[in-house]
Amino acid sequence: MLTPISRRDWLTATGCGFGALALAGLAHGETTIPQRSVAPHMGPHHAPRAKRIIFLFMQGGVSHVDSYDYKPRLIQNDGQKMGFEDARVKANTGKQTSDHRVMKPLWKFAQHGQSGRWASDLFPEVAKHVDDLCFIHSLHTEGVAHGPATLFLHCGSTNFVRPSMGSWVMYGLGSENHNLPGFVSIAPSAGNGGSRNYGTAFLPAIYQGTPLGRAGGPASAARIQNLHGPLTPEQQRSRFDLLRELHQEQLRSRPGDRELEAIAESYELAWRMQANAPETLDLSRETPETQSLYGIGEKATDNFGKQCLLARRLSEAGVRYIQVTYGDSSANPAWDQHSNMPKHGDHARAVDKPISGLLTDLKRRGLLEDTIVWWGGEFGRTPYAQSNGTGRDHNPGGFTVWLAGGGFQPGIAYGATDEFGALAVENKVHMHDLHATILHQLGLDHERLTYRYAGRDFRLTDVHGHVVREILS
Amino acid sequence: MRFTIATAFVTILSCSLFASAPHAERAERLAFFEKKIRPVLMEHCQRCHSIEAEKAGKLKGSLRVDTREGLLVGGDSGPAIVPGKPKESLFLQSLHYDGDIRMPPKGKLSDAIIADFAKWIQDGAVDPREDTKTVRPRSPADQMIAAGKNFWSYRPVVSPTAPAVQNKKWPLQPMDAFILAKLESQGLAPAPDADRRTLIHRLYQDLIGLPPSLAEVDAFLADSSPDAYEQLVDRLLASPRFGEHWGRHWLDVARFAESVTLRGLIFQEAWRYRDYVIDCYNRDVPFHRMIVEQIAGDLLPASSLAEQQRLRIATTFLMLGNTNLEDQDKQSLRMDFIDEQLDVIGKGFLAQTITCARCHDHKFDPIPTADYYAMAAILRNVQALEDSNVSRWVEVPLPLTPAEEKTFAQQEAQVAQLQAEIKKFKSAMTAQAAKAGKILALKDIPGIAIDAETAKKVGEWQLSQFSGTYIGSGYVHDRNEKKGEKSITFEPAITRTGRYEVRLAYASGESRAEKVPVSIFSADGEKDLAINMKITPALDGRFVSLGTYRFEKNGQSYVTISTTGTTGHVTVDAITFVPEEEATKKISAPAKKQPSPGDQSHLAGLEAKLKKLQKTAPKRPMAMSVKEEPKITEGTILIRGVVHNIGASVPRGVLQVATIGKPPVFPKDQSGRRELAEWIAQDANPLTARVYVNRVWHWLFGVGLVRTTDNFGTTGELPSHPQLLDALTQEFVRDGWSTKKLIRRMVLSRTYRLSSDGATLTRPADPDNRWLAHAHRKRLTGEAIRDKILSLSGQLDLTAGGRSFPANLASDYGFQAETNQRSVYLPVFRGAMPELVAVFDAADPSLVTGNRNTSTIAPQALYFMNHAFIIEQARLAAVSLLKQDGNPTDRAYRLTLGRLPTDRERSVIARFLETQSDSKEAWSAILQSLIASAEFRMIR
Repeated sequence: MLTPISRRDWLTATGCGFGALALAGLAHGETTIPQRSVAPHMGPHHAPRAKRIIFLFMQGGVSHVDSYDYKPRLIQNDGQKMGFEDARVKANTGKQTSDHRVMKPLWKFAQHGQSGRWASDLFPEVAKHVDDLCFIHSLHTEGVAHGPATLFLHCGSTNFVRPSMGSWVMYGLGSENHNLPGFVSIAPSAGNGGSRNYGTAFLPAIYQGTPLGRAGGPASAARIQNLHGPLTPEQQRSRFDLLRELHQEQLRSRPGDRELEAIAESYELAWRMQANAPETLDLSRETPETQSLYGIGEKATDNFGKQCLLARRLSEAGVRYIQVTYGDSSANPAWDQHSNMPKHGDHARAVDKPISGLLTDLKRRGLLEDTIVWWGGEFGRTPYAQSNGTGRDHNPGGFTVWLAGGGFQPGIAYGATDEFGALAVENKVHMHDLHATILHQLGLDHERLTYRYAGRDFRLTDVHGHVVREILS
Repeated sequence: MRFTIATAFVTILSCSLFASAPHAERAERLAFFEKKIRPVLMEHCQRCHSIEAEKAGKLKGSLRVDTREGLLVGGDSGPAIVPGKPKESLFLQSLHYDGDIRMPPKGKLSDAIIADFAKWIQDGAVDPREDTKTVRPRSPADQMIAAGKNFWSYRPVVSPTAPAVQNKKWPLQPMDAFILAKLESQGLAPAPDADRRTLIHRLYQDLIGLPPSLAEVDAFLADSSPDAYEQLVDRLLASPRFGEHWGRHWLDVARFAESVTLRGLIFQEAWRYRDYVIDCYNRDVPFHRMIVEQIAGDLLPASSLAEQQRLRIATTFLMLGNTNLEDQDKQSLRMDFIDEQLDVIGKGFLAQTITCARCHDHKFDPIPTADYYAMAAILRNVQALEDSNVSRWVEVPLPLTPAEEKTFAQQEAQVAQLQAEIKKFKSAMTAQAAKAGKILALKDIPGIAIDAETAKKVGEWQLSQFSGTYIGSGYVHDRNEKKGEKSITFEPAITRTGRYEVRLAYASGESRAEKVPVSIFSADGEKDLAINMKITPALDGRFVSLGTYRFEKNGQSYVTISTTGTTGHVTVDAITFVPEEEATKKISAPAKKQPSPGDQSHLAGLEAKLKKLQKTAPKRPMAMSVKEEPKITEGTILIRGVVHNIGASVPRGVLQVATIGKPPVFPKDQSGRRELAEWIAQDANPLTARVYVNRVWHWLFGVGLVRTTDNFGTTGELPSHPQLLDALTQEFVRDGWSTKKLIRRMVLSRTYRLSSDGATLTRPADPDNRWLAHAHRKRLTGEAIRDKILSLSGQLDLTAGGRSFPANLASDYGFQAETNQRSVYLPVFRGAMPELVAVFDAADPSLVTGNRNTSTIAPQALYFMNHAFIIEQARLAAVSLLKQDGNPTDRAYRLTLGRLPTDRERSVIARFLETQSDSKEAWSAILQSLIASAEFRMIR
């Protein structure tokens, strides 16, 4: 339970000196400070299995029946009209079932690795890692359209303005690195909720995600705002020194004024960030071998490869929550193949090697142990052709995500959709459950990670969510 | 009421049904329960629905299944089982997985188990697990409200007399006595008054949000008249800058924004509301009047057209939520929209978290779900959205002044005349073109042509040959009825992948619909157009082009014409998909004569003129507003807030706990918004005036008397000075809800004029400064920081109002404002907030914000260190500084920090100047550093 008190009041009331707390306080804002805790965040509530997370967001919705959810019935019944519970039709008209033409997967499935997990050749490189992946085939979510489903994925609500998952994690755990933001979203989409997907809503501003670049934009645009300006380094240095002196004088007139001290200290932090962040963001410090591992330098994979490598560098530097978006800002983002399903192949080519490279790289550096890698979209796609065409519509009723590292059981498949891959039926996992489970691995109890706003305690999972213990190692 | 019935039900059942079962039969049924029912309940249900779950705070849906009473009383959706009636038992329905509640969540149980439950319920649901102690029916709503009325904020406002104080000289007015009495009772003394230099800066920032000029400061310091301060206050209250600053406060509460985050769609007309609010504050429109205007302005009588416009614009307040217009379940979207409206009305005016009662009775406050739906019923009687894949907010034309109306009418007449001329000329041309040319066979149409007769139709479409010009056996029309229920879909058999021009043939005419929605689905995705069927189609008087798209062989391709939102006949003749390379070919009728080149160029001339006129002429001004529904209805409770889960009906109404005297009576022919608004705005409402007075106090003093400005419920904080709050509220109401008089009273108090320097003295006794022994030091808002920087660089543009972005802007992605107007006029785009304002704790424009955050974060420092705006403004300020006479160091300090430098500060500056060769560069650096320094962002 948090009581909103001002930072300086808290400092006074607890009798702590400023110096010891300067950094922690600055990194976590000052509007709300938990009582009985030195660092202003809540958790962890229990021993964490993972310290950080990299979420690879496949915006638009990857087809699970073309990638990881193998359904022989789709091949058997290919081309036949059958009745399905179509989420869009249901939402628009209330009709429970409607007729659709079954469409077989366009990529060949085979079993891979020692675990024998099924994967199609849509993602041939990632398929080599199946023994490290934990598949959830029974995920289901809310929102038929991109807008609502994307917000639900990130904020646990299709419409209401709620904090994003990364902000909740920051609020729960704080940052590991005081020279960098703790929550970074690489190439976020401006569409479908845009900044709300990494926003804090009513949580204090300090938990806000920092966007680097924009969806569909070049990896080189992934920069921290105002880290550089038009001044020369010499000008900057001299102005910074002058500012320090001015602050010293302002503090001299008001000894013990902690608010002034805090502002002065925020410049010290900014200065350190300016000195350290460029190095972290500089991919040229990686060996050519590592770069090529991510597909950097190859036309198809260069951009996403750089973004994945950046994610690894950030996670190594202690950034807690990193999201990498493969998508764009349009109304029909990247993976949204309502027609022309083969287009999935182009997107897969762009991400396959970079993701595989990321997994390999994290593993060989020992980072995969305590890093969660989460791959997935806002929903899956229908097992049938949309309006008898060449594409598939959105499917929030059942789809696949995979998790790697961070204490998830490797090489397993959990839950199942029906024999067509239309709806989750066995060991169903709701998006709220996935959120609860990921928070659990990070050491947070989703039912205790609450924030009092407008008279009630809010949670990422609202009043829902169960930790899926069966997939934890 | 529901719960009372349920309780009665339990009692009757336990007396009759169970008791009367013959002993042997009962034993058999008990055995069945033990064998088939209890184990399943324990394994699959009780983790979330038991006393253990309740104790762990994990009880779901308020339902317990571990006792008989738990099942009979039920949870949020009502009784879980009705003994003897499996079909009426929600519990069984949820096992069947065929409603909104599907249990257990992990997967459906086997058919055999479900059959066991059906049998058990059929046989009377015999259950030995009696427990009347831990399961209690919930207290009825009436009781909850009666108890709730004792809470301070729901009690009527009282008229306390100012308390006696020891230091009789200190208070300047009754308000001060309340503060001093509390301080004295705590053994505290007020800090000294702030000096006059501090006061003038404080007043300027608090009242108009701008710093005083150096001359204004000098004049005030030199003014020895006893009422100099009072005169200054009155001057500032009369300044047009006042409304810009105070309007922004209200815009925080009204979650004002000019776009939604979904696709960054722009609210083209929202700026009118911003200007309305600023104008209200400048003219000191009584706040109770502002309330009614914002909720129901369109229903109020108006004495002039300008007033009518104002009132219409005021209701934009209801429209500004950040809604997910793409939600496919339109009923659910509508309720979410209403929920958002209730949220802003509830928090904004009443400081009540009404929307907590959407799914269940409010857990903490005396607000039953019935109250929520009684208020929602009022808002359900208005239309705010037009449904579509991405729904659209409603805009209505503004009433115009006679002069404007004349201009628009003239221009519209001009258009009509041109259109008529074109039509006449065309029909002459087509008449000339021989009767044979008017009816075409499908085979004569280029491309893949489909006749309306063979297209897929939804609803009844009438075949007609009336116009004489058509393809095949005629065209179809929608009979101008059942709008929204009819559509017609063309699905071409594309045999070759490529780009095709899509053309629609329809029968044009005056009686036709103007905005016929047409969507084209191609490999490029979906494209939505609106076709004006009053206009004669451009191609051969028959076809309009719908654009060129890529279609794939066997790919999904269709064109759908719908009647949603149309007025007038929708007609459809045929659609053709013409391969791009053939699209230039003329449609050739067998015996058709081509019009002469002279005629053609005359027609082209007329059409060009029309197009130009339509493009360049000013658009009729619109406002975002609601429309009253034609049919006025009462409400229904939606169980657990699910739109498809309809419960008991409730008449329109207001919050019962905050109703003193008679509740409003709602008219049969109006939504009831006006009555709702008048109930909120009445003097007797215990919340409204208190909430507003507290907001004004918060904005002036930095911390409210009730610190939770948006929550006066039981989870909010109690007032520090309840009597003072009531005294001020009484005076505010007596003054006719005048904001300016309220502010004036507050700033003329001695309490307002206290120094903020006394901090360290009273800290140990009152660390939060709740008793106000000294003034709170406040931060400048992001808006005020930007305005202050622009004014010291001499760049501030005081142009007021108007739309501050290009009128054709389609989305807010990456938008950057290029204006030096005051910050309140920067577009509030949810996806592209002005950077400086955003980084300094801007109000989140999607939430009601009565109390902004105050943060100290590194991005603020980075902004001041590196942003081109700061560096440029510092340079301009330096240029202007160097042009002035006098000591530049003094001047720089006065401009930025509102004070003279200390001797040590003078020497810091002097030392710095010695190291610099270029004075412009040096002073740019000094000004940037002063702007960046901590004191710059403080109001002392």
